[in-house]
Amino acid sequence: MTETLKPDTADQVLDAIKWAAGEGMPLAVRGQGSKEGFGRVVDVPHCLDLTGLSGIKAYEPSELFMTAMAATPMAEIEAALRQNNQHMAFEPPDLGRLYGGGNAKESGATIGGAIACNLAGPRRIQAGAARDHFLGFNAVSGRGEVFKSGGTVVKNVTGFDLSKLLAGSFGTLAVMTELTFKVMPAAEKTRTVLVLGADDSNAMKAMAAALGSSNEVSAAAHLPIAAAAFSNVSYVSGAGKSVTAVRVEGPGPSVEHRCRALAELLKGYGAIEELHSENSGTLWREIRDVRLLADGDNLIWRLSVPPANGGDVVARLGAEIGGRVFYDWGGGLVWLSMGARPHAGHEIIRAAVAAHGGHATLFRAAADVRAQVPVFEPQSDALRDLSVRVKQAFDPKSVLNPGRMVEGV
Amino acid sequence: MTVACKRVNDNLIEALRGIVGDRLSTAVAVRDQHGRDETYHTPHPPDVVVFPDTTDEISRIVTLCAQREVAVIPFGTGTSLEGHIAALQGGVCIDLNRMNGVIRVNAEDMDVVVQAGVTRKQLNEHLRDTGLFFPVDPGADASLGGMAATRASGTNTVRYGTMRENVLALTVVLADGRVIQTSRRARKSAAGYDLTRLFVGSEGTLGVITEVTLRLYGIPEAISAAICTFPDLESAVDTAIRTIQTGVPVARIELLDEVQMEAINKYSNLAYPVQPTLLFEFHGNNAGVVEQAETVEAIAAEFGAAAFQWETKTEDRNRLWQARHDAYYACLALRPGCKGFSTDVCVPISRLAECINETRLDINETGLVAPIVGHVGDGNFHVIVLMDFDDAAEVARAKAFNERLVARALAMDGTCTGEHGVGHGKIEFLTAEHGDAISVMRALKMALDPFNIMNPGKIVSL
Repeated sequence: MTETLKPDTADQVLDAIKWAAGEGMPLAVRGQGSKEGFGRVVDVPHCLDLTGLSGIKAYEPSELFMTAMAATPMAEIEAALRQNNQHMAFEPPDLGRLYGGGNAKESGATIGGAIACNLAGPRRIQAGAARDHFLGFNAVSGRGEVFKSGGTVVKNVTGFDLSKLLAGSFGTLAVMTELTFKVMPAAEKTRTVLVLGADDSNAMKAMAAALGSSNEVSAAAHLPIAAAAFSNVSYVSGAGKSVTAVRVEGPGPSVEHRCRALAELLKGYGAIEELHSENSGTLWREIRDVRLLADGDNLIWRLSVPPANGGDVVARLGAEIGGRVFYDWGGGLVWLSMGARPHAGHEIIRAAVAAHGGHATLFRAAADVRAQVPVFEPQSDALRDLSVRVKQAFDPKSVLNPGRMVEGV
Repeated sequence: MTVACKRVNDNLIEALRGIVGDRLSTAVAVRDQHGRDETYHTPHPPDVVVFPDTTDEISRIVTLCAQREVAVIPFGTGTSLEGHIAALQGGVCIDLNRMNGVIRVNAEDMDVVVQAGVTRKQLNEHLRDTGLFFPVDPGADASLGGMAATRASGTNTVRYGTMRENVLALTVVLADGRVIQTSRRARKSAAGYDLTRLFVGSEGTLGVITEVTLRLYGIPEAISAAICTFPDLESAVDTAIRTIQTGVPVARIELLDEVQMEAINKYSNLAYPVQPTLLFEFHGNNAGVVEQAETVEAIAAEFGAAAFQWETKTEDRNRLWQARHDAYYACLALRPGCKGFSTDVCVPISRLAECINETRLDINETGLVAPIVGHVGDGNFHVIVLMDFDDAAEVARAKAFNERLVARALAMDGTCTGEHGVGHGKIEFLTAEHGDAISVMRALKMALDPFNIMNPGKIVSL
């Protein structure tokens, strides 16, 4: 039975971690638990529930940053930003459906979880990863020491970049209590140029051409016919063909101009369609939240490869694995859904991805599978050793989320 | 606690010769040149300088130094500004200039792998026929390894980011001589802690960066520049801030105050008005560039800009930006015989006008000759204090001025260094700014470099 510690203040977080470090009692660090299905299961008797640390602390739209407590719901943050026509440019995904087996419930995702998992959506290719928008934090290390790093300025070179280290560390180094991140003006208008019927290989070329052009493309995805069929945008699901989607955002006249330029550039790859703001919004949310694969309880892999290589990796896997795929980030990100198979097929998948200099993450699978199969790409011995040393520097007693990323770390 | 390194002895020099042969020097002139940067910091020459050709040679050199607990100082072009390359405890300086090969351009994936000694200009020369370019442009033609190590930035951070956003992977020789590659070529790394960015900005204190994978960008279809003169500093800064807040994707916004404009006019033989000035550059397609410039022109007019002058011809634009890049040297010409000392605070953009104004008043009261230039889109500005380094009273005045400036920036939630880094020149400021985080950084340093041989005495002192 798990005992839950539920601090309401940063001081109480400090007390809890001091206690844990003193007693050698590991803690499962948790926000709303919306991404508990991501990473390995932390099976320890004590849970540090951060939901008491919620609320926006500082937000002046003109300052272009926001400071919020760690467990502030993303929904609350996004609502505040929307009122001021702003957004988080890295397009954080809402994985509620994915981990909820396709149910439409609110995920309850928090800002702390979004940064700790370093998850970014389709705009990553233009705006960067979650960590690139993460300016600073207050935290308590596994040593039971309060520290802060970064601040509200957009650039600094004050020593080791602790913000970048904490982004994507899954709560294994320190518990963040307060985060400061960039917010940006939201685009006035969004349009999506669709190319219908391109095969995977041509779609990679089309996306590369679009991204290499001067049209400031903010997202490029390719949905083979099986994935496109799951869209709620009728132009996409009803196309009866694969759909390659290229998004442009900005002031009205410029968006229209760039759409025309892209349509001209891409017309050789297939018939061209265009989505306006509302349909664009729906489609890119489906892509961002992996909704096109969220149904059922299939295994879901996220393959990260050099952009031009996505199609080749899938071609290599196709015969062996089957499943449903779609591509984001101009082909650099492949989402793969497949039926159960021994060890989630990780050896076949990782061999194919490694051949192209990429890596694979087991994004959704039952807890027992995630306990047996490395969720994240296994590291070389030297890198693993370095990671262990980093972990020990922050959390020598290994009390914060032990084993969440790698078994035994 | 002080962890002192041992000095280089003849036995180590013999062993180093076994690795690099004649590519080693103990000559005083060579050592002096490697212990001195472009600033007022006291030079500290290393005991010996080696010029390796490969990562493997560096790995063997570092292994030797680790066994003997001798300091290792990586050296690119020596253009850092806070004593980063000073051999405070002697030791072996590893000069990476011979490792200057572009290993692989992946045009489709828009990335490139270079050896650490390749300079930014050399890379862009190499890329000229590919339609791609690398944007980060600090004043000096620095090596890309050094730029990664110091997390360098330049004039177009506002659009393209700093080295932090543009380094995709690194090959690093660790403090025990082992070689790691921090990431694969895939853009997105979720395979563990972000070690790439731990090394970016670590100033050589965690390992020697030997290869760098960088993100590239397509050369924009259209580039245009504009120069705009303002009645006072505040309206110039407000124009820059409003531009950023409006979300105009400008590539560059640089502020030059009237003192700097006078210096540039003299140095580059130009005739711009001697008033606070903003330089803009816009990247995009033809229509986008026009739209951006018109938006900014309207904002500038609102804040009372005198004239908004377009420079669409490549040569005019280049002259304008060359003048900006030469700002430091132009300043030096204002007081011949003097040297420059550059401050580097960065504040939230909403406090920028206030910070610059107070600083201008402070300069005037102190009686220093000190132009201001700024990457105002990021909230970062430099005061270039011109002084006679032999005049102790003047040096003291300048240092006191900088301390006040840092205190002012910190009080506004800013930082003591936006881009120059800590080296050993700003260690005390770092403590003032980040108190608690220093112990975390120290723990990291000790975990990765237990004998404190990697560029000791920089960022954190052990």
